[in-house]
Amino acid sequence: MVIDLQKCATCYNCVVACKQEHFLPPLVFWNRVVVSEAGKFPTVTKIAYPVLCNHCKEAVCVKACPTGATHKREDGIVEMIPDQCVGCRYCVVVCPYQQRTYHAHDNKEYFPGQGLTPLEIIGKELYPLQKGTVIKCNFCAERVDQGVKKGLKPGVDREATPACVIACPCGARYFGDLDDPKSEVSKLIKEKKAYSLHLEYGTEPSVFYINR
Amino acid sequence: MKLKLYEWMVKPTPQTEWIEKRGILLWLAFYVGGLGGGVYLVSLYFDSLVGILISWLIVVVLKGGLHILYLGHPFRFWRMFFRPQTSWISRGLIFVVAFIGFVFIQLFLAYFKPGTGLETVVAVLAVIMAIGMSIYTGFVMNYVNGIQFWTSSLLPFLFLLCGVLGGFGIVLGIGNFTGGIDLMEVETGSMILMIVMAGLIVIYLTSARYIGPAGKESSLALVKGPIAPVFWIGVILCGIIIPFIVSITSLLGGHPSVGIQIFAILCEITGGLTLRYSVLKGGYYSPLIPVSSLTSSS
Repeated sequence: MVIDLQKCATCYNCVVACKQEHFLPPLVFWNRVVVSEAGKFPTVTKIAYPVLCNHCKEAVCVKACPTGATHKREDGIVEMIPDQCVGCRYCVVVCPYQQRTYHAHDNKEYFPGQGLTPLEIIGKELYPLQKGTVIKCNFCAERVDQGVKKGLKPGVDREATPACVIACPCGARYFGDLDDPKSEVSKLIKEKKAYSLHLEYGTEPSVFYINR
Repeated sequence: MKLKLYEWMVKPTPQTEWIEKRGILLWLAFYVGGLGGGVYLVSLYFDSLVGILISWLIVVVLKGGLHILYLGHPFRFWRMFFRPQTSWISRGLIFVVAFIGFVFIQLFLAYFKPGTGLETVVAVLAVIMAIGMSIYTGFVMNYVNGIQFWTSSLLPFLFLLCGVLGGFGIVLGIGNFTGGIDLMEVETGSMILMIVMAGLIVIYLTSARYIGPAGKESSLALVKGPIAPVFWIGVILCGIIIPFIVSITSLLGGHPSVGIQIFAILCEITGGLTLRYSVLKGGYYSPLIPVSSLTSSS
């Protein structure tokens, strides 16, 4: 994935789209926007970085997982197998980007004391999250898989592309195959000198940023 | 450090998963694992069967129980055996289970068939597992490269030393009740370790300041930040100064009462617990936003 920071309007639409797509419970975010500022008045600049799981090539969470519940698919997506997760939370601690969440409470309501809304109840059926396991962004693997089955191309066709990419009103997000030099993402990385966060960790993240 | 919601990963962000809420169980489990290993090593040196039995019980009941309580799905724990090639948690579990097994056999042989060659072999294997059990938590934390404070190679040795020091304390207590242990030798060993421990803590905190900004933040949090009361009162006063004074009084012929000795042992255990707490609580993640972004825009 490539995120163009010059295009990002910090509208948080990616955050909301992700929560809707996966029916994420309160206070759980697989997509976030980290906002900071630099400089001194009157030359203050706002800096916003939309962040999500980096699906690292050398993912430390995959190596640290003692059960193999965190694994890397052939297409590079780092995914969880909930039935194998023991809930030790080592992956949560070991992720230097802090993109994993331990799902401790199953019945947290969006409106405390009001009970679960019909949408929340449906969400639990459509996208069940196992209590006592770690959950994380999966690049909307279920969408990508269904799309690919239909012969669609991830990053090009809507039905095979992650929700956050589709929802971005500014077109700041690009999705595709990093191993394909002809893909849009590969070209963008090369042409616009995209970079990823904290290369010093040696994790080789698959999410890149453009800032010029 | 009280972090505002919008400062999450913008400023050095404290690790909470392994120290808050149910994470407290893991803090305790990490400590008692080191303590169990330490008690075993010291008991074996002083040939105390009661000490070995106590170390076994600490590991089986306390460490095992705390880990089981902590896990989200404890009945799946057996899955953790199968990834020792990459995961330190897996390796740790193998150390713990092997330790429990070997020490059980050793106790059985020592009671029913003492002095056999097999007992010696099992004891050697148990020693290896005890060291592994005391040291692995350091490597578990060492692997977390997002927290600069934990990346120091001193951490595993600090934890091993902390466990052995606790072991000296427990064995001193056992010796007071059962006899048959040279208490002066225990006091001397304990004192030497306390001096080494104090030196190691100073080196650890000083070196952490130079690893990077988050490491410096962690080091300062312990010395004069929000964790300072725990660090100074727990680690330094209870863990080192009080037991040191009691030990030196004892060596100079003061013979402190059993009550004072028990107080010193409790202080030593408090010191070990607070050391683990301080290191876990003081773990700050480096911010996500690259420093270059902040400086280039200003």
